[in-house]
Amino acid sequence: MFRYYLRLGLLSIRANPALSALMVAAIAIGIGACMTIVNVRHVMSDNPIEHKNDVLYHVQVDNWSPDEPYEEPDLPPEQLSYLDAKALYDAKRAFRQVVSFKSDRVVQPAGEDARPFQETVRATTADFFAMFDVPFAFGSGWDEAADQSEERVVVLASGLNEELFGGKNSVGELLRMNDETYRIVGVLAPWTPVPKFYDVNNNPFEEPERLFLPFSLAISGEFGSNGNTSCWKTVGDGGYEAFLASECIWMQMWVELEDATQRQEYEQFLNAYVSEQKLLGRFPREMNNRLSTPAEWLQNRDVVDDHVSMLLSLAVLFLVVCLLNTIGLLLAKVMRRTNDTSLRRALGANKSALFSQYIIEAGLIGMAGGLLGIGLTWLGLQGIENLYAEYEFIKNLVRMDWSMIFLAVALAIASALGAALYPTWRACSISPATTLRIQ
Amino acid sequence: MELGPIFRAMLKAKAGYILIALQIAVTMTIMVNAIAIMQEKNDAIARESGMDEANTFAFSSTSFEPDADMRSLVEEDLDTIRNLPGVRSAVASNSYPLRQGGWSEGLQLEPDANSSDSIGSAIYFVDEHGVDSFGATIIDGQNFTPNQVSFKDPESNTWPAYGIVTEALAKELFPEEQTSVVGKTIYLGDNDPINIVAVIDRLQAPWQSWTGVERSMLIPQRRLGTYQTYIVRTEPGYRDELMPQVEELLANSNKGRIIRSMTTMDHVRMRAYLDESAMVTMLTFIVTLLVIITGLGIVGLASFNVSRRTRQIGIRRALGANKFAIMRYFMVENFIVSSVGIATGGILAVLLNILMVNAFGLQPLSWYVIPIAMLVLWLVGQIAVAGPARRASNITPAIATRSG
Amino acid sequence: MLKMKSVSKTYRTDMVETHALREFSLTVGEGEFVSVTGPSGSGKTTFLNIAGMLEELTSGTYELDGKDISSLNDRERSKVRNEKIGFIFQSFNLIPELDVFDNVDVPLRYRGFNAGERRRRIEKCLDMVGLMSRIKHYPGQLSGGQQQRVAIARALAGEPRFLLADEPTGNLDTNMAESVLDLLSEINTSGTTIIMVTHELTLADRAKRNIFVRDGQVSDGPPELHFAAAANA
Repeated sequence: MFRYYLRLGLLSIRANPALSALMVAAIAIGIGACMTIVNVRHVMSDNPIEHKNDVLYHVQVDNWSPDEPYEEPDLPPEQLSYLDAKALYDAKRAFRQVVSFKSDRVVQPAGEDARPFQETVRATTADFFAMFDVPFAFGSGWDEAADQSEERVVVLASGLNEELFGGKNSVGELLRMNDETYRIVGVLAPWTPVPKFYDVNNNPFEEPERLFLPFSLAISGEFGSNGNTSCWKTVGDGGYEAFLASECIWMQMWVELEDATQRQEYEQFLNAYVSEQKLLGRFPREMNNRLSTPAEWLQNRDVVDDHVSMLLSLAVLFLVVCLLNTIGLLLAKVMRRTNDTSLRRALGANKSALFSQYIIEAGLIGMAGGLLGIGLTWLGLQGIENLYAEYEFIKNLVRMDWSMIFLAVALAIASALGAALYPTWRACSISPATTLRIQ
Repeated sequence: MELGPIFRAMLKAKAGYILIALQIAVTMTIMVNAIAIMQEKNDAIARESGMDEANTFAFSSTSFEPDADMRSLVEEDLDTIRNLPGVRSAVASNSYPLRQGGWSEGLQLEPDANSSDSIGSAIYFVDEHGVDSFGATIIDGQNFTPNQVSFKDPESNTWPAYGIVTEALAKELFPEEQTSVVGKTIYLGDNDPINIVAVIDRLQAPWQSWTGVERSMLIPQRRLGTYQTYIVRTEPGYRDELMPQVEELLANSNKGRIIRSMTTMDHVRMRAYLDESAMVTMLTFIVTLLVIITGLGIVGLASFNVSRRTRQIGIRRALGANKFAIMRYFMVENFIVSSVGIATGGILAVLLNILMVNAFGLQPLSWYVIPIAMLVLWLVGQIAVAGPARRASNITPAIATRSG
Repeated sequence: MLKMKSVSKTYRTDMVETHALREFSLTVGEGEFVSVTGPSGSGKTTFLNIAGMLEELTSGTYELDGKDISSLNDRERSKVRNEKIGFIFQSFNLIPELDVFDNVDVPLRYRGFNAGERRRRIEKCLDMVGLMSRIKHYPGQLSGGQQQRVAIARALAGEPRFLLADEPTGNLDTNMAESVLDLLSEINTSGTTIIMVTHELTLADRAKRNIFVRDGQVSDGPPELHFAAAANA
């Protein structure tokens, strides 16, 4: 019977090409508009480190001004001062700990006519790569000994290795930056977590830095911050030393804690640390330490743009209009086919047979709308990419994965079936006697 | 008029009409809110930065050799640029409007005051050419003199005692002041006193989405970091030829630094408001598409109604209705549906707007958007129904005498 | 065997109540060919709707093959309709998007026969009405008489015990009407009970038994018919 209904559905769609096309188009456009935005939002609100969500924690302590919170309602600063980052790191109280900050260097490629260029770099500690499951193509990260000895080593991202060394295994090669020579110890495989969860304080959708080097080396080399830096007190005289000793926040810290006990212990450790600092005259505010999982942290930092949420609410309403449109047209179609419906009833079709027939027809329209909708979603994403072509990171946001394609078709079919319910119900309640009366 | 009978006839087959009215209502809701968002974005885009944007470009220089003599490098660079024909003025600073990244400080009227009373302001470090290079106009007081400009090495963190503020910042600092704020002292950070030497008409902060975007202060100081930003204002028409020329000259003058981010202010503005203008484009697209879909929905349902009532229309014609009366019937019918939809839509639109204002900090709706949207939707409805109505008016009265 | 006893049918709208049938009683035996005549508005069509279970009755009892069907639900009614009753309409009521084969196929689909059985029955019935050659044609490509033959084939395909015909020749010219009536007589001869509603007394004559309906009740019959019968006698 299913195939019979399928054939009847196709026949009916063919019999009213304009009406059917209008319905398919309405669903497709509604799905296209909705899914374009849903897709962008899906990528934006993704958690690329979900598989370690239960063991990773972003660390916050509140070293802000006694007069006002860093952010209402009484939130601690999103970053750490060097003082705290260094002390918490050195305490080594977690299974793994990573402190890092964003800086920049001028890369001087070998060769006479090669022009130097500026690159953002991430100064971090040895555990960064293991903690965030960063994939390596060649070599590896550096070890803790290298952190201690401020060894002049560097890890290259795959793109930069491509540009500088044509993609070959460059481990062991030397790289000049700011007139200093670094030894390459590792090259990453392509790695673009979106959002850039480990540092969402700057643009969370830009590519990761393409150079990674030891934190201790960056500090002794007096690397400045290339990310957001906030201070609530003016920094005194004394240059970099004074900056390191200040309450300015510019570093990110993550710890890996294997279970609830470790987490509890780490919380106690943080409390103890802050209490101790209070005795030294720091931390004028109430104790306000936070350990957030990656998911909580991304949520907390609200990486999803307001514009996207605004567009999403309008796009959902847009889909509603398209569906109202479809309901109206399906209803018109049902009314036009009163005779046919009533005749089938007279010939012995029961209500559920008719229900199946109409629902399958609507499902077909939904499916067509969904498939076309995927095409329109793709076009929509291209359109967004074009509009934002100036932002390099936009290509990270306009990706479409299978889950979204599946969602588009499912949403289209569900919408079409939802839209078909009322008209189908009306069709089923057409009396079989109508066929005798309308002559 | 025949409103009564038409309305009663509609009640007999209400589902179809309710659907169209709902569709119009939701369309209206989206349209009104989309227009409200577009208006806000357009208003933001239309704000002036205060700079002579058409004739200004900027770039940055990063020195990477250790122990570079930044003071003489910047002096040489500025000399080179200022002596080029077509250059009106140039300055080395830390940032410029619409750039997204910059320096801000809290300002207050008393030293050591509670920091929550301070007023945030963008800081631009300049020399005596700053005002002209930034395209600002002094409306009160005098520009910095060359000997007010100090040099700051990376080891010290002292502030010069002078500043030039924007009019907006002056109003924020001294809301009661009726005459001049020139000569008054304000305090920066904890207790660095700054004497206001002049007020300029306008110069935006680097963050265009910050609520205090109009609050900026110029400080006569050259900060000798390895990273410098240059702003060059040219005579009209010279910008495009000067850009490569300046890049070439500076890149060759010193191999220990790189010149990057060479960009016109037009491009900076485009990039700064990209999100806003893209939003306007997307919303325009959505609204247009929406109106088309709603229009087609009306056409579809009206066509259906016409074909369903073919016989009835024939009978009316046979009974003496002229073509115009038949057309009018459908037009009036659509007018009634549209009106119900538009009225509902007006209420929904205001409700959604309230939600949006709360959730996204949007500006509340301007009152006149609603009547405009009403007019547009009425018009769309009438245009959409015109085709089917004409077809209805062309139905022959002979149908009445045919059976079946 | 079709047996109606004191059947009433009332239509209610917001303002008026119409009694389409009142205390209507009729028994039609196996293999009969009954014509139902009456002026327009007399209740003929209502009678046919109720007999064919297209509508429910307001009161009274209706038995089909000894089974009271007034208490059946929609699913059971649909099944009885599909298996025991065939319909023929004045305006043929073929589905324009389906070809002849598919039109005859419609009731068989709801019957749940397999493909082979359906094909066998469709071909047999189309052969019987003489339209095998038009099996791939669409209704629009056929004359009125041919369309009504297809409709008859469709009614017969399920091998119903009862054939209900509503003005089956109303839209046909005289020649075609004759051939359709011949076909009906032939079908009746092979054992199918036929009830035919018509307002043409000459057609009613082709039936073995005539019933006259007036004001929703079986009446003694119009004087004209008696006169015609007397004249024939």
